[in-house]
Parts: sequence; structure tokens; C-alpha cells
Amino acid sequence: MAEIGGGGCCPPMDLMRSEPMQLVQVIVPMESAHLTVSYLGDLGLVQFKDLNSEKSPFQRTYAAQIKRCGEMARKLRFFKDQMSKAGVSPKEFLGKDVDIDLDDVEVKLGELEAELSEINANNDKLQRSYNELMEYKLVLEKAGEFFASAHRSATAQQSETESQQVVGEDALEAPLLQEEKSVDPTKQVKLGFLTGLVPREKSMVFERILFRATRGNIFIRQSVIEESVVDPNSGEKAEKNVFVVFYSGERAKSKILKICEAFGANRYPFSEELSKQAQMMTEVTGRLAELKTTISAGLDHRKILLETIGDKFEQWNLKVRKEKAIYHTLNMLSLDVTKKCLVGEGWSPVFAATEIQKALQRAAVDSNSQVGSIFQVLRTKEMPPTFFRTNKFTTAFQEIVDAYGVAKYQEANPTVFTIVTFPFLFAVMFGDWGHGICLLLATMYLVLNERKLSNQKLGDIMEMAFGGRYVILMMSLFSIYTGLIYNEFFSVPFPLFAPSAYECRDASCSEATTIGLIKTRDTYPFGVDPVWHGTRSELPFLNSLKMKMSILLGVAQMNLGIIMSFCNAKFFKSAVNIWFQFVPQMIFLNCLFGYLSALIIIKWCTGSQADLYHVMIYMFLSPMEDLGENQLFPHQKTVQLTFLFLALISVPWMLLPKPFILKKQHEARHQGQSYAQLEETDESLQVETNGGAHGHEEFEFSEIFVHQLIHTIEFVLGAVSNTASYLRLWALSLAHSELSSVFYEKVLLMALSFNNILILIVGLLVFIFATVGVLLVMETLSAFLHALRLHWVEYQNKFYEGDGYKFDPFTFTLLGNEDE
Amino acid sequence: MAFLVTSLIFAVVGIIASVFTRICFNQGPSTNLLHFTLVITATVCCWLMWAIVYIAQMKPLIVPILSEVE
Repeated sequence: MAEIGGGGCCPPMDLMRSEPMQLVQVIVPMESAHLTVSYLGDLGLVQFKDLNSEKSPFQRTYAAQIKRCGEMARKLRFFKDQMSKAGVSPKEFLGKDVDIDLDDVEVKLGELEAELSEINANNDKLQRSYNELMEYKLVLEKAGEFFASAHRSATAQQSETESQQVVGEDALEAPLLQEEKSVDPTKQVKLGFLTGLVPREKSMVFERILFRATRGNIFIRQSVIEESVVDPNSGEKAEKNVFVVFYSGERAKSKILKICEAFGANRYPFSEELSKQAQMMTEVTGRLAELKTTISAGLDHRKILLETIGDKFEQWNLKVRKEKAIYHTLNMLSLDVTKKCLVGEGWSPVFAATEIQKALQRAAVDSNSQVGSIFQVLRTKEMPPTFFRTNKFTTAFQEIVDAYGVAKYQEANPTVFTIVTFPFLFAVMFGDWGHGICLLLATMYLVLNERKLSNQKLGDIMEMAFGGRYVILMMSLFSIYTGLIYNEFFSVPFPLFAPSAYECRDASCSEATTIGLIKTRDTYPFGVDPVWHGTRSELPFLNSLKMKMSILLGVAQMNLGIIMSFCNAKFFKSAVNIWFQFVPQMIFLNCLFGYLSALIIIKWCTGSQADLYHVMIYMFLSPMEDLGENQLFPHQKTVQLTFLFLALISVPWMLLPKPFILKKQHEARHQGQSYAQLEETDESLQVETNGGAHGHEEFEFSEIFVHQLIHTIEFVLGAVSNTASYLRLWALSLAHSELSSVFYEKVLLMALSFNNILILIVGLLVFIFATVGVLLVMETLSAFLHALRLHWVEYQNKFYEGDGYKFDPFTFTLLGNEDE
Repeated sequence: MAFLVTSLIFAVVGIIASVFTRICFNQGPSTNLLHFTLVITATVCCWLMWAIVYIAQMKPLIVPILSEVE
């Protein structure tokens, strides 16, 4: 509950402070619990507290339901996987939530999963037999070739030996040989053979091991298969060879079989006779064709099944996720066994109270329960979460601020001013109205198509650019403005508003390159005079201008930050912070750096030649001495002495009084309570079990003092370093204009000077790519980053605490983007 | 003189912009206050930048020295 809130220094402003939040307690009867949580999820304005945090996930009430949902989610994932493998995409589901029952979905999912698994298994089996048959066919072909060629050479050899016999060598031995030879073909030892396929990379090793294992008593022939074969076991393509092994004896056969198994060589039966081979061949070819048709029929069936799943997939997916979320939330409510109802606690904004009550009533009616739900507000000292109601424009800026730290409950939100100052500081570093127009065109495309683009799934980088489209829009508009002020259009100045103020000293312009021009007309009315670009004294002039501008803008933003801290002090009714923090901080910053800013303006207005470095340095080193050439205005010495004195006393002013005053306040608060402490401890224990609120306050004086010391030192030293940090506005704007100038002069103008159309086109392309790549992308990111740093550190450390936590309501709208 | 005139123009533009925002985006007092704050902040930022650049050129200490034309 916002007990500390109150009137600020101004009427209430949207987005300035967090919405007031309250801790609510909801008591729902069991039968309407599910529906209640569902309606509250639709509303999206309650952040439930986990009242069962000590219990493990298995001890919670609805653990079984969550397991059911988990099972269904697993099945849905399996379907998704199968669908993506088959190339079927689920139908887009944008329609309203049709009321489907979770039990029906569960049953349907179970059926479909069984069917799909069956189809997959059958498919695998068929595919395997198909691959085996393919291999068998290859074996038949290759081994058939081998046997045919062997047969031919055997018959050739036989005719040769017969012809030799006719020659007639040794009468005694020849008849013996003759007999042996003639007996040989009929009385041969029975040779067995095995045929099969072996992977090519293992073929040499296979042969060698076979040779060694059978002591060289085998004959092996291998033949290479040109195309790769699908291995039936692994389902992948592999290079294989067909082999034929001839052996004799049973022992050799068993050895060979074992070796074949070890090498994963598939064996296939093969018959010697030609007729049988041809028969097998036709049989295998026929079966292959059959299998092919069967397999394709199976795949078609599977595709139809997957398409029917795809129709309803998104719907089921959403429903399952929704149910899971509801059960998770239900698990956070504590079960009040005696009253047969669930008690839930949560944070919700004060403005949502009526809507929540309406949702509760609706749920009670829809679930036909006899008892309605109870809604009550609890009082607590816990810090509520921070909730800002943002629209599509302010969301991006709020996220930028939140990235550094979420605002503490009800402290001033830096976003309010960041919406303008962040694009403005970006533009100070980016100033070029040509580049600004390019950026504007790019972001207008995003903004005008935002409805279409928000439904699409964009890549990571596009997602970020799209989310920040309004930021970039503001940045580009301000860049066009600062570009007009710096008078740079792709680094080219134009006298848009009036002729230049400078002219030659005399008619012949003889001294234009030595002493220079003089200012004859009125000051150029809007921006930097166009004559400066390309002159020799351009950099000294622009550097002086931009550095001083950076200091002025920096001091202005830091003052704004300190004023925000005043607004905070006023809101939280802390007079200590106003008188002993805000006032000395303002005095210190403005006596030193506000004075410097004033000097800058006085020097510009009077045209004095005094060097401001010397003025500031001698103000500190020798304040009592005469100013001499450092004099810019009358009574300067008195003014400087006063400011110096004020700055000096402001340091102990912000360091010393606050800790003592806080100590006195703490003692005054707890004076009457020292006797009642015993009773309080019981109460405070009870309060703690309900959610860990800090019942007792501790006050360590030394801690407070050290804290204040650190705060003071940070501010005093930070005043110098932060002011200097703003000089990055000068640095980056200089870098941008120099890069732009280089690309223009050294690429485009040089390409133009050649009078060749080809070089012109090439030069133009290089210029465009360089501008887009370096200036529009890199410089944009760079200036974005530095403007961000200036806001996060130099601006926010004057007032921002940022140690709150974000309001994270239970809502269904985010489910669509989860676990992709 | 020109400085004051232009500053007045900035002020008038700022007021017109805030009136325009009030007419077109009227969404309740706290939201209107936010819009008003944003418009005024933008006007002040723009005026500040213009004023700084203008005042810096009123009484220049450095004059443009043209570079040698080849």
C-alpha cells in the first residue's frame, strides 16, 4: 500500500511515477478455482505471490495435472518434429479460443501418437527390406559377372590342357597326369563360397584378416560398386564392394561367418547355376517394385495424418500451454483445507480492483458454485513492484531506462524526460540533415507497416530495430533539426536562410587566405554560417563552439537531474533530503559549473578575448589576486570569491548534518516502543511468515555515515568528471562531420573530376555503401550508445535509485512467444 | 534584436504545438500534462541549441580563412 505517497511538487502526470499498487488477497472455492485463474489470466493485471515456496514441485496440489500437461506438450513436440521432417507446416491459428476440453485433447493426442508411431515403425521396416533387396540385386549382378567370367576362363584352360595332351611329352608320366587331370573336374574337393557386400573402407582389412584367419586357404574376389548403396542397418548411403569368398571345410566357414559379422558385411545366398541366378534376379526385381509402391503408399498416408494434425496443432498447443500456466499458478495458491477453498495473494494496481472483482464474479457464476469469491486488500510494508502503463510509443523508452535498473516503487521515472532528451543528445552527435532524412525514410517504412510486421517473425536484429522504431523516428527528426543547425547535408553546407555573414575585406579578396574574411552582415540567422566549411580556421571555430555547447547542455541536464531529486524528496515528504541534499548539491554544481556556463555566455555576448581556462584556474589557485586580462564583467572578483566560498561550505553541508538528523528521527520514532518490544517480536514473527516483511528497523549510525560520505564524494568528484564526460557530444559530432566530409570529398568529388561515366558510377556506389555502412549504421549505433551512457550515468546518478522490481502479471498474451 | 525575435518565434511555435497536441490527443489530465511536458522539453532543447550557435557567432574571435584554391 502506498503509505508514503502524497502530493508532489506538481499535479499528477502519466508515467512519472509507478501506478499505485496494492497487495490483494483472493479466496476462491475449489470448484471455481480453475475458471477464476483463467479469467484473471485473461485480464493480466495480477502478479501472484508463491505461497507454497517451501514445497517441492512434487508436493504441490496440482503436480499430477502439470505432469499431464507435460506429457501432452511432449506429444505435441513430437508431432511438430515429425511435421517439420515431412515438410508439413501447421496452420496459422489466429481465431478466438474455441472451448475445447483438455481431456478430449489428451485422448486425441494419445490416439494420434500411437497411429503415427505405428506408421513410422512400418515405414522403417519396409524401407529396410527395400534396402536389403537392393543390395541383394547388386550381389546377384556382380557375383553373376564374376562366375560367368570364371567359367569362361575355366573352359578356356580346359581346352588348352586338352590341346597340350595332344602334343605328347613323357610317355610314362603323361598318362598319369592325363588321368589326374581328367579326374580333376569330377573328383574335386567340395568348395563352398559366400557372397555379400562389405564397406569399401574396410575391404582391405577384411581380406587380410580372412587370409590370416584361414591360413591362406581361401580365395577372395572383390568388385567395386560405382554408386553408393543405402545400408539397411544404418539407413545411410555407403560405398561398398561385392565380395566372393571360396573356402573348404566347415571350420573355415564358421570363421568366415564370424569375421563377416564383425565387419558388418551383409551376406546373401547365391546359386551357381545360371538359370537359378536369372530366376532370383527377376524375383528380386519384382519384389523391389512392389515394395516401392507400398512404401510410397505408406508415406502418403503419413502425410495425410500429419496434415490433419497440422490443422489443429496450433489450437492444441495454445490450449496445453494455457492449461499448464493455469496449473502452475494454482500451485502458488495455498490450500485452506478446513474451508475447502484456495487462498491466493498477489500484487495488482489499485485501478484494477473493480475489474478483478468483476472477473471473480463471472468465474463464480460460470462455474456454478454456490459460494462467491472473496476479494480483500491487505496492508503490508513490503515494497510493491513497479508498474508503468506504457503505450506503443513510450514502451521502447521505458525499456531503455529499465535496462539499467527498474525504478523503485513510486520514485520519479527518468523516462519522462528521456523521451525527448535521448533523441536530442543523439542528434547533437549525429547532426546531418541528409543522413537524418535517410534514417527517417528507413524508420517510416517500419512505422507505416507496423501492423503487418508485428505479426511476422523477424530476425534478431530486425526485431530490435522494429521494437525501437519510435525511438529511431524521434532520433531522425531531431537529427534533421541539428543537421540544419550545423548546416551539413552530407557534409555540404547551404545558405538556406540568408546569405553568409562574412565577406572579403576588400574588393580584390587578396587577404582571404592569410588574414581572412570579416563579418559585414548580420549574424547568420539559423545555424552555422555556410562559409566555414573548407576553410583553414574551420576546426578551431567549430571545436570551440561544440565544446562550449557540450558543457552548456551537460550542465543543463545535470541540473534537471538534481531537480528530479527535489521532486522525489517532495513526494516522499523528506525535508532532510531537500535541505541537506538538494540545496547544497544545487549550490555546489551551479557555483562552479553554472558559473562556467555563465562565463561562456558572457564571453560570447561581449566578444571578450579572455581565456576561460585561465579564468577558472586562477579562480581556484589565486582567488585574491587582481584579474587583469581575465576580467569579463565588473565585480568579477567578488562574485568569484562568493561562489568559491559557497561551494566550499556546501560540501560539509551535504556530508555532516544528514546522518545526525536521521539518527535523531529514528530515536524519536522508536522512543515509546522500547518497552513494548517483547510483544512486537511475536507479531513481527507472524508478519514474517506471511511473506517476509521487515518488521524491525535497524539503524547503524556508522553505516549511514559512510553511505553519506560515499554519496558526497561521488557527487563532488562526479561534478567534474560528469561535466567533462559531456564533451563526448563534441567528440562524436566532430567525428561524424569529418567522416562525412572525407567520403564526400575524397570519393564523390574525386570520381566527378575524372569525367568518366564508369568511374562516376563506381565512385557513386562506393560513396553510397560507405555512407550507409559507416555513417548510417556504425555512427548511429555509436551515437546511440553514447547518448545512452550519458543518460544512464551522468543524468540518472543525480537522483535515480533504480532498485525496484518490475510488475510481472500472470497473463496469457505472452504464451504465443514462449519456447519456440 | 534578431535574437529576441527568433526566441519569440520559438516560444510561439512551442505554444502552438502544445495547443495542437491538446486538441488532437486529448486523453485525460495526467496524460495531457505528460504531452505538454514533452512538447515544452523539445521546444526548450531546440531553442537552446539554436541560441548557443547564434550567440557564439555574434561577436566572433576567429574569422574564416579560406584555403588555397588550386
